[in-house]
Amino acid sequence: MSSSNNRYNLAAVGSAVLSTGWVVAWAAGLLIDGGNWIARLGSLAVGLALAGTAAALWLRRQAREQTAARRFFETLNRLDPHALRRDTADSEIPPLESGHPLADVARRLRDGLIELAEQFQDLEHARNATEIRCRRATTEYERVKAILTSLDEPIVAIDPFDEVILANPSAKEVLGIDAEQTEDRALRALVRCETLVNLLSTTSRRKAMESRSDEIQVPATTADGGWYRVTARRLAASGAVDEDAPGGGAVAVLRDIGETKALQRRNAEFVSSVSHEMKTPLAGIKAYVELLADGEAEDEQTREEFCGVITAQADRLQRLVENLLNLARMEAGVVKVDKDGRPLNEILEEALGVVRPAAEAKQIELVSDLSPMYLGVFADRDLLLQAAINLLSNAIKYTPNGGRVTLRSRMVDAHVRFEVEDTGVGLSEEDKYRVFEKFYRVKKDKDMAQGTGLGLPLAKHIVEDVHGGTLTVDSVLGKGSTFAVVLPGSGQISS
Amino acid sequence: MTHRVLLCDDEIPIIRAAEFKIKKAGYDVRIAGDGEEAWQMIQAEMPDILVTDCQMPRLDGLGLVRRLREHPETRDLPVLMLTAKGFELSAEELARRWGVRDLIAKPFSPKGLLERIREILHEQPVGP
Repeated sequence: MSSSNNRYNLAAVGSAVLSTGWVVAWAAGLLIDGGNWIARLGSLAVGLALAGTAAALWLRRQAREQTAARRFFETLNRLDPHALRRDTADSEIPPLESGHPLADVARRLRDGLIELAEQFQDLEHARNATEIRCRRATTEYERVKAILTSLDEPIVAIDPFDEVILANPSAKEVLGIDAEQTEDRALRALVRCETLVNLLSTTSRRKAMESRSDEIQVPATTADGGWYRVTARRLAASGAVDEDAPGGGAVAVLRDIGETKALQRRNAEFVSSVSHEMKTPLAGIKAYVELLADGEAEDEQTREEFCGVITAQADRLQRLVENLLNLARMEAGVVKVDKDGRPLNEILEEALGVVRPAAEAKQIELVSDLSPMYLGVFADRDLLLQAAINLLSNAIKYTPNGGRVTLRSRMVDAHVRFEVEDTGVGLSEEDKYRVFEKFYRVKKDKDMAQGTGLGLPLAKHIVEDVHGGTLTVDSVLGKGSTFAVVLPGSGQISS
Repeated sequence: MTHRVLLCDDEIPIIRAAEFKIKKAGYDVRIAGDGEEAWQMIQAEMPDILVTDCQMPRLDGLGLVRRLREHPETRDLPVLMLTAKGFELSAEELARRWGVRDLIAKPFSPKGLLERIREILHEQPVGP
């Protein structure tokens, strides 16, 4: 291909030289003798023929070069940059013949194209990888966002400029953020809780990575006072070489401690009540012991009087401790319960016997109105007796001298009911609900009788938790109260 | 002149121990069972010092002190307060707001109470 091309070139150049020679010779002959026209015309014809041949050869060569160039560019045009590879490039883009005037340009173009195609392919790989990573990241982000959104724990995160980058719905609700859009807004503008704002802000500026926590009370949204334990942790700057590098802001997680706080408060109140109840008899014991030790009691009668007070106060302390222990045992479920089918009336009669002296001391009429039926209950005899005694002695305590306390028992449907009715001081609406609370004593009636405020809660525990019954109170202030116990029956026999 | 001491507590047997000790020291001692009764006794006969418990029916110790401070004739009556409570009351707060001279925790020593009463009564300007 290349040698024939050279031949064409050689022929073309030769023809041109010869024809030019002939024209020159002819013109020279004309100038010299101006003679033989035929010879001159002949030589002109030969010259023209030679020139024509040369021109034809040149045109043909031009045409071949153009075709080669067009094919080359068409090949380029059809190239798939995705598929072009250096090792197969020769077959995909045939180079131009070496004599072709564009051969060099075409070779450089082809090399450049291969390089571009390779770069393009690299980029495409990179783009695909990025796209996959991006899709994964988006999925991950959506998932994390869904998790954060579904969390009951409020979460707030800020950037290094104290602007909110995340506040889940729970955080918005608890912290009272009513803004729809929280992102890129200053934390201080959204949250009024100073402690939280400061904690997050200072944590964000700290060098150390460990978390810090504090207790905060947000404007009360719940009955427990809106107490939260907030734990704040600094976020590492994203993309930093050092994973612990500051500058990423901070995140705070809030944990509802309202119930714990309420429990702590109730516990503190309980301990305070117990210690108060214990200190009072202790005060009596200590004071009289000191008087005795100092020899203040000069006669036997005074000494006996002092010893009497000490004994009474010690008994009171003992009762308190026993009641406390009983209640604690029952609440902890460690009381040995010995339930069996028993006649209720027998237990009630025994209770009446126990409290009778106390009633007589106050000239209180103790009325027994027990059902003539056999009222069977599935009960622990000692515990139920304790509950009945507590209810009766409570009625006697808060009934003025000369009043009346009635103990009644009846069968009601499948249940057994007994009630203690008194003509005592009665309870206010609020006190009706509170008399079953531990250590609660009706303020205005406290001076009527000594008590620990444990008798009724203990009775309620025995009736409701141990026997699955109910203990309720009905009362009219100033007229009297009726404490009613309903227990599941266990069969009756007409007596 | 015999100083008059008013003791106020609903736990009568306990306050009787203090009464015994203070009476023996030569003071004129009266006992009230609650704040209301104490207020009426103060109206009838002004004591030189009041010793009162906190928790009492009808009118408690703090209510009694508040009422005393509202009336010009009882405003300067020295008050000692007794309490069986643990941490709800602070002596500083009581002194600052209600001029309570001291807060004495139960169980208390009758001897210690007497000494405190003596100290306070000694500070008083002696009348004509």
